[in-house]
Amino acid sequence: MERLQIDSLLYRVEKPARYLGNELNSVHKTVDENMVRFAFCFPDIYEIGMSHLGMQILYHLLNRQKNVFCERVFAPATDMEEQMRSSNIPLFALESRQPIRNFDFIGFTLQYELSYTNILNMLDLAGVPIYSADREEEDPIIVVGGPCAYNCEPIADFVDIAVLGEAEEVILEVIDLYSKMRKEGYNKFEFLKKATLIDGIYVPSFYDVVYNDNGTVKTVTPKYEHVPGTIRKRIVESLDKVFYPEEIIVPYLNIVHDRIMLEIFRGCIRGCRFCQAGFIYRPVREKSFDRLRELAEKLVSGTGYDEISLASLSTSDYSELEKTVRHLMEEYGDKKIGISLPSLRLDSFSLQIIKEIQKVRKTGLTFAPEAGSQRLRDVINKGITEEDLINAAKDVFQSGWNNIKLYFMIGLPTETDEDILGIRDLVFKVVDEYYRVPKEQRGKRLNVTASASTFVPKPFTPFQWEPQSTLEEIYAKQKLLASNIKRKNITLDYHDPKTSLLEAVFAKGDRKLSKVLELALKEGCKFDGWIEHFDFDKWMAVFKKVNIDPAFYANRRQGYDEILPWDHIDVGVSKEFLIRENENSKQAKTTPNCRVNCAGCGINRAFTGGIC
Amino acid sequence: MAIMRSRFYKKDEMVFVSHLDLIRIFERAIRRANIPVAYTQGFNPHPIMAFATALGVGVASEGEYIDIQLTDNMNGELFMDKLNDVLPEGLKIIESRIIADKAKSLMSIICSSTYLVKLKAKELLNEADIKQCIENLLDREEIIEVKQKRQRRGRRSSDSGFKQINIRPLIKNIELVSLDKYEVLLKMHLAAGSRGNLKPETVVQKLCELTDLSIEQYETRVKRLDLFIDKDNEFLTPLDEDAWNI
Repeated sequence: MERLQIDSLLYRVEKPARYLGNELNSVHKTVDENMVRFAFCFPDIYEIGMSHLGMQILYHLLNRQKNVFCERVFAPATDMEEQMRSSNIPLFALESRQPIRNFDFIGFTLQYELSYTNILNMLDLAGVPIYSADREEEDPIIVVGGPCAYNCEPIADFVDIAVLGEAEEVILEVIDLYSKMRKEGYNKFEFLKKATLIDGIYVPSFYDVVYNDNGTVKTVTPKYEHVPGTIRKRIVESLDKVFYPEEIIVPYLNIVHDRIMLEIFRGCIRGCRFCQAGFIYRPVREKSFDRLRELAEKLVSGTGYDEISLASLSTSDYSELEKTVRHLMEEYGDKKIGISLPSLRLDSFSLQIIKEIQKVRKTGLTFAPEAGSQRLRDVINKGITEEDLINAAKDVFQSGWNNIKLYFMIGLPTETDEDILGIRDLVFKVVDEYYRVPKEQRGKRLNVTASASTFVPKPFTPFQWEPQSTLEEIYAKQKLLASNIKRKNITLDYHDPKTSLLEAVFAKGDRKLSKVLELALKEGCKFDGWIEHFDFDKWMAVFKKVNIDPAFYANRRQGYDEILPWDHIDVGVSKEFLIRENENSKQAKTTPNCRVNCAGCGINRAFTGGIC
Repeated sequence: MAIMRSRFYKKDEMVFVSHLDLIRIFERAIRRANIPVAYTQGFNPHPIMAFATALGVGVASEGEYIDIQLTDNMNGELFMDKLNDVLPEGLKIIESRIIADKAKSLMSIICSSTYLVKLKAKELLNEADIKQCIENLLDREEIIEVKQKRQRRGRRSSDSGFKQINIRPLIKNIELVSLDKYEVLLKMHLAAGSRGNLKPETVVQKLCELTDLSIEQYETRVKRLDLFIDKDNEFLTPLDEDAWNI
């Protein structure tokens, strides 16, 4: 295959460095016949996709295999897509600039439901039929993974293989099977059938889905013998033994997360009831301090980055946090390499650490109380008290910060106007705390940003049965908050809930939605997560045309006895536990974190042999 | 403390990285090469370095310059080798030397720049035609370029958002280098730096507007040859010792 000539296009588009493919630590290989070609696609633009840790891990893992060449593909920005279509240039992989329609595998990572149209658009741009049923023997195999793959039913008709869970081991097993069969006589059907024997592999086309008259799922049954009735996710056992890249690609462009990401642990002990990540990534597994020290050294010398971010779902819960931070500061402070700690909790220990790391590089502060009243924080099991927040605010204002962000959600289950006004009360109290600090001691010009996003119920959480508030309800709540929170120093940040509605539909959707996506693609919907591209009216017209009511998916309370479209997927957390947690939430009863007391979610029975 | 001045080129695919990208590339390369660089003070420390000018995306250059402040003196050759080991293909230091402590900043001393400009004509032309076009342009006393004023933050745009400037004095010379069928190669010598800066693309645009030349819009390619300091009708480069104290 030859390299596509794209130079003349690069002179015509914005940020051409997105499409170069030769960044520091990118991998380039000479292709021979035995090479398995893998296109790792991120269905959004370069700056978003390159910020994704999972891609860096799998890219380097796959390229470590001699017989595999993994390359990156991002959704071309609209100007580039226009140029490509008018010059008949199909979607290509960045490294080799060869069309991905000739590759063995095209993999998509599913991070966000609103990127589904981009997936279809990328397949279309690649010249690959979007429906798996329309693809021929020699077409690439379409693989998906990532958090949305746990309920990939809305895109099930477009996908050949879904990888459930952590992919480091599974993906190699799939590729091994493929290359073995290719030597011994390959056919796609047999390959997919054998693939279903690998734990964590879901082949959607091997299942019949039957619906009740009211539109709910009646049955999901395997079509063939030996195809498993439920598919369990995969995890890696030891985060110290699992592959982690010792060099990562360093982009030319300024990307969203432009720094070394050091993964400190997977899973979360907290169990916030709205948070899908908190359930699907269980159990908690940590990387050891020694491993982190070793990785940091290699990544710093191999990239030249000036910042290391400790990545996890809840950084404060890492058992060797203090030791790790102290080491990184001692080792790299002189080189002016800063440390950032996202997802910190509000305890005094975390604040102490954050004050330490500010000595090298200053960062903003974000806290996430999520709900305004204590009752509602108990409903969602957030485990933060008003006192925690006020003490934290006092502490940071005394240390000279003048800019903090507070994250809230609106539309949470059981929420009343009182809870909404609770957000106002809490933010006001934070501001009052600033004025209590003596003038000489506090920073100048306080700015508190309160960000209110719309709650989206997600599969595999205790709130998976809960209806999302309707657009009208959300608008009313936003208005109530906005008109009551007007005060100097406070910025309220909220968004149109229309995208959240679509997010809920596709998060909880079933296979009937493939028709919606197909038509949306035809109508030109893409980059739906981008406010400048999102066209809600177009989407509503599409739903109407295929006679599907979005409210059926987003705004309907589902019964515990209803078969959910994702019930045949097993993430290790039992449905009984989720029901129990949902019931607890109705009584605002909290569940302690996993280290305090095992709540019996089932993950220890499924994966860890009794203990977490 | 010492200031290392270097000349480098930017070519091939590196022409597609922006000036801001270039700054990051150098910052990271300096760290990876373990160059003893000085950092700015404050909450967000950066290596202290300064470029002569910002090159537009798509423009190549054989004559870019950067000053990097070091905490220790260092041999120019060693500095060059260390950095070239880690710079991406298409970016390369050609010469480095420590300059006098009191040397003025690159940005403040640069006066002009030479460029090679490749155009694709829409019709077949002969050399005389093109030379005539160039002459017609250079014969003008005024070449007016309408520029949109940069909007200041917090101010509302008003009707006077445009200003007219005469760019003729900023053109030192334009000459035809070669003509190969549709491909026209020009050499331009234009003002550059903080006291007056003219982009070759603007000259090309005026050439098409004001003469009979017509070209393919997206086929123009520009390469900077060098940057100069004008001293007593002599053109010095930033690495000439005589240029350090102007």
